[in-house]
Amino acid sequence: MSGKSKAFTKEEELLLQDFSRNVSTKSSALFYGNAFIVSAIPIWLFWRIHLIDIYANLISFVLVTLASTYALALAYKNTKFVLKHKIAVKREDAVTKEMSRKLAEDKKMSKKEKDERILWKKNEVADYEATTFSIFYNNALFLALVIVSSFYILKTFTPAVNYIFSVGATSALLALLSTGSQ
Amino acid sequence: MKWHIIFAAFAAFLLVTYAEEEEEAARLLVSKQLLNKYLVENMDIVIKYTVYNVGNAAALEVEITDNSFHPDHFTHVSGELNARIDRVPPYTNVSHIVVVRPRKFGYFNFTSAEVLYRHKEDAGSLQFAASSEPGEAIIVSFRDYDKQFSSHVIDWAAFAVMTLPSLAIPFALWYSSKSKYEKLLKTTKKH
Amino acid sequence: MNRLIIFSILICGISEIFAETCQKPEVIASAYVTEDATILTNVAFTTQFVLKCSNGVKGITLYAEVDGKSLPAARLSSDNKYQVSWTEDVKKARSGDYNIKLYDDERYAAIRKALRNGEDPNSVKPLVVVVLNNPGIYRGPWINSELLAVLLAALVSYSAFSSKFKLLA
Repeated sequence: MSGKSKAFTKEEELLLQDFSRNVSTKSSALFYGNAFIVSAIPIWLFWRIHLIDIYANLISFVLVTLASTYALALAYKNTKFVLKHKIAVKREDAVTKEMSRKLAEDKKMSKKEKDERILWKKNEVADYEATTFSIFYNNALFLALVIVSSFYILKTFTPAVNYIFSVGATSALLALLSTGSQ
Repeated sequence: MKWHIIFAAFAAFLLVTYAEEEEEAARLLVSKQLLNKYLVENMDIVIKYTVYNVGNAAALEVEITDNSFHPDHFTHVSGELNARIDRVPPYTNVSHIVVVRPRKFGYFNFTSAEVLYRHKEDAGSLQFAASSEPGEAIIVSFRDYDKQFSSHVIDWAAFAVMTLPSLAIPFALWYSSKSKYEKLLKTTKKH
Repeated sequence: MNRLIIFSILICGISEIFAETCQKPEVIASAYVTEDATILTNVAFTTQFVLKCSNGVKGITLYAEVDGKSLPAARLSSDNKYQVSWTEDVKKARSGDYNIKLYDDERYAAIRKALRNGEDPNSVKPLVVVVLNNPGIYRGPWINSELLAVLLAALVSYSAFSSKFKLLA
């Protein structure tokens, strides 16, 4: 991990690392909530368009949705982690500029405190952008892959099999890809 | 022995064809076809009656009657189930089309239509011919048809509405933050 | 050749029987085209009309011609009511007006004669023309919903990919 991005000081690195690896409860809840909603949406397609038997497949709906929620949340986390560093580097100058302007009036604040504030803000911005983008990115890929696989690749299978494989495989693939690109 | 039989059969065949040619009479073959891919409750069924005159004289007063579409089961859309064609020249065919809509779904046996005609100019009695039978077919309920074959526009629209927040919200949040700081960076560079 | 002679004699015979021609013909027509062709193999064009002649002629034989195809006009149960109907392949059926030219025996024989002698059959004026309008055949949605969904999803995914690529660059 260390020494990857030369722009950071040791201090900064530590801070970033701390914030990105251990996802806070708040953002974890955000990830799982989002993953759950997006994982459940394909049920609508299967019910209305693939005409799957809702009652007969209730168990597979629950299991696949849960598995997919877990896999998607993992994908969100990993993608976010990869992006956060890059975004932090990209936003560094802009955030420093913004914060310096804001903190310029405050004469009482020490240089060290100001630097900490900037660092903290930088981390916050990178975290925010990485989180939102990661959710968007994975949701877009997940829905697109589910549509393509269920309507084209697995079209000939029965709706029940189609559902398990298209949703299950897509979420697993996204989780795998997100770890691969680290 | 075998040759004799074949020869006799051939001779008989020749005689028959010769006799028919001599007879100068119309002979009609009638087909009744449904020109549908699917039969669906309350949707058009196109029925085509084709009369082929395979005889060597014109058939006159050819009357097609189809009593197999009971008003309880079918609504009549266009074309009449009783029609008369004055003249069908030899070795030609004519057709007649009727459009009906089934009121109910389920199995329905499409039976033959009847055709009456005069096979000769001076024929005293009328000739009778039955059309081919399309046979038993299933009429699908409109609900099932719609489910299977509709383009599901509404279902897709609902899907779009469902997926939109999960795509648009994170994208908008990310994009607004991104553009805010990119703008900031640009102004810094200019100064 | 033999058949042709018989044929022409017959036509002459018939036209002699119905020597009376329809004066100032008027038609009241209704038509139906199977516009929703999603479940059909062929589009049906049907028209039914009542022919009125100022001189009260009834029950004459009519011949129809549409787009160069000759069709018989079938007589229906009620007096002076006729039906002309034909089918066309769903893929080939054109939209727009179809002119159904109607001929009585005399005119029809004239057309036959013109054709036999290699003359222009259009020189024979039809008794009356019925116009059938086909507003257009519905063959199902022009784009598959799934395909549209896939295209949209691909578009969104593409923007996601390109944005990510830019971020990682």
